Amino acid sequence: MVELMRNVGIIGIGYTPVFVSKRKDVSIAEMISEAVDAGLKNTGLKPEDIDAYVFGNMATFEGVNLPHLWAAEHMRAVGKPIMRFATGGTIGMAAFHGAYYHVASGMADIAMAVTYEKHSEGDAQVGLMGIITPEVMAMLASGIDVTGQSGMGAIGGGSAGGISFQASSYLHRSGAGIEHIDAIAAMERRNAAKNPYAHLKDPEATAEKIAQTPMVSWPIRFGHICPTTDGATVCIVASEEKAAKIADKVAWVLGVANCASDATTANLIESQITDPAEQLPAIIASKKACERAGIEDPKKEIDYVEIYNGFAHQTLMYLEKIGMCEVGEAHKLLEAGELEMSGRCPVNASGGVVSTNSIGTSALNRVTECALQIMGQAGEHQVEKEVHKAMAHGWGGLMQYCTITILGDKPKKL
Amino acid sequence: MEETKVVTGAWELSTFKFNVEGRGLQLMLKHMKDRKLMGIKCHQCGTVYLPGPFYCRKCHIKIDEPAEVSDHGQVMTFTIGYADVRGNPLDEPRIAPIVKLDGCDSWIMGVMQGCAPEDVHVGMRVKVQWAEETTGSLQDMQYFVPE
Repeated sequence: MVELMRNVGIIGIGYTPVFVSKRKDVSIAEMISEAVDAGLKNTGLKPEDIDAYVFGNMATFEGVNLPHLWAAEHMRAVGKPIMRFATGGTIGMAAFHGAYYHVASGMADIAMAVTYEKHSEGDAQVGLMGIITPEVMAMLASGIDVTGQSGMGAIGGGSAGGISFQASSYLHRSGAGIEHIDAIAAMERRNAAKNPYAHLKDPEATAEKIAQTPMVSWPIRFGHICPTTDGATVCIVASEEKAAKIADKVAWVLGVANCASDATTANLIESQITDPAEQLPAIIASKKACERAGIEDPKKEIDYVEIYNGFAHQTLMYLEKIGMCEVGEAHKLLEAGELEMSGRCPVNASGGVVSTNSIGTSALNRVTECALQIMGQAGEHQVEKEVHKAMAHGWGGLMQYCTITILGDKPKKL
Repeated sequence: MEETKVVTGAWELSTFKFNVEGRGLQLMLKHMKDRKLMGIKCHQCGTVYLPGPFYCRKCHIKIDEPAEVSDHGQVMTFTIGYADVRGNPLDEPRIAPIVKLDGCDSWIMGVMQGCAPEDVHVGMRVKVQWAEETTGSLQDMQYFVPE
């Protein structure tokens, strides 16, 4: 049994005023400062109150190599400890875990996780290309046709191509159909319409409308895919003692965990063995986080879930992986309306990553949205049931890294 | 119209070297000329990988026992591509299965021909279509076709 070192709570959140395709009015560093200012304003803290900063952003996506140093002054961090995480889709939650460890260990009393992505100032596709560079090198060295017309070069076309193998495997092994992916995408776009910090909002979204969008790579349609978003998010955590003095409402960290596996697709140099829909890291990390949080059955004890779903099928798939329902059951919960904001197992009331994806922030936004639900501050997208415990999930890497954070409305008994 | 400044540069593709020298890949390529697929088996747990890595992912020990793998197998998952990387529509939809070859535990990616997109399914039996003239390159394994 793993014991927590000391209790840590989320005492404040800061978002940029909007999450949109292009923020031409601000630079990267200026955009980050908007979120930092919002976080300080929401907590009433001054820059000198922050003991340590943890920064999260994906390397190569904007072509800026040291954004945490460019932004140091803009996030009022000059002279303070800073560390940076770049773990792919999970960046935001990795940065959050970094801030948590700072405070849980006693190295800091108040720490701020700062994350951003400004996709409009870079080319995410080029960044993603860097991830599979070793594979492309091996293909070229072995005389393979990398255009994917014949031989083993069928990567399937960018991130959506890789993920479609996962979606296809998930559909086959769960019994769900494309119509369920259409329906969950529509539900999340409707939820996003209630979230002022969401990007793609459609209050009128229906499964039928999503089903009319073009097929990109079977079974993934255009309507199932996340946008590229500009935005920044910060999250401030504090020790129990400090939190009591500063905040009226706190979302307490009950358990965190992360896990990695092999690359799952196109690992040509050393072969691949894993079903891309198996997602063993999600299974292991959620079990570990539950154990740390003292949760025996997440189905019964977790009231709200935020899932990292760059692609719509992942909401359903990961509900099964993290233990919120049995395998093959998620699409049945969807059909029964249980996943809606009014349902028994509400998920992604924020609109999810499929509606807003400024990559560095995406996994942190899963945590902050869970915190807002626990604090009762989610506004129009507050779910109907009371949220006592919530689980946030992060996913990324190539396809093989998972982070989990469990929050609660009461601190854990130490 | 936005003004964009362009800085040109070069990307040396040969910069990337692997210490393992792609040993399993080299073994596979060597035998492909004879239309044989040669992987590597873990002497401890029996797992067969293609192309063979130099260590077993399950046992974390060094492995080097060659093991022949069938050129027949089963579709484990697949996609049908309708657009290229930049979103331009393809002339013909491209079927890309991930196949578990008989006698092998790892999966391999490829393209499929001789089958309509609506007929592909998980569990489908397929075989390797070899090139007419094999040269010891990964291109020797041209497509998967229905068995």
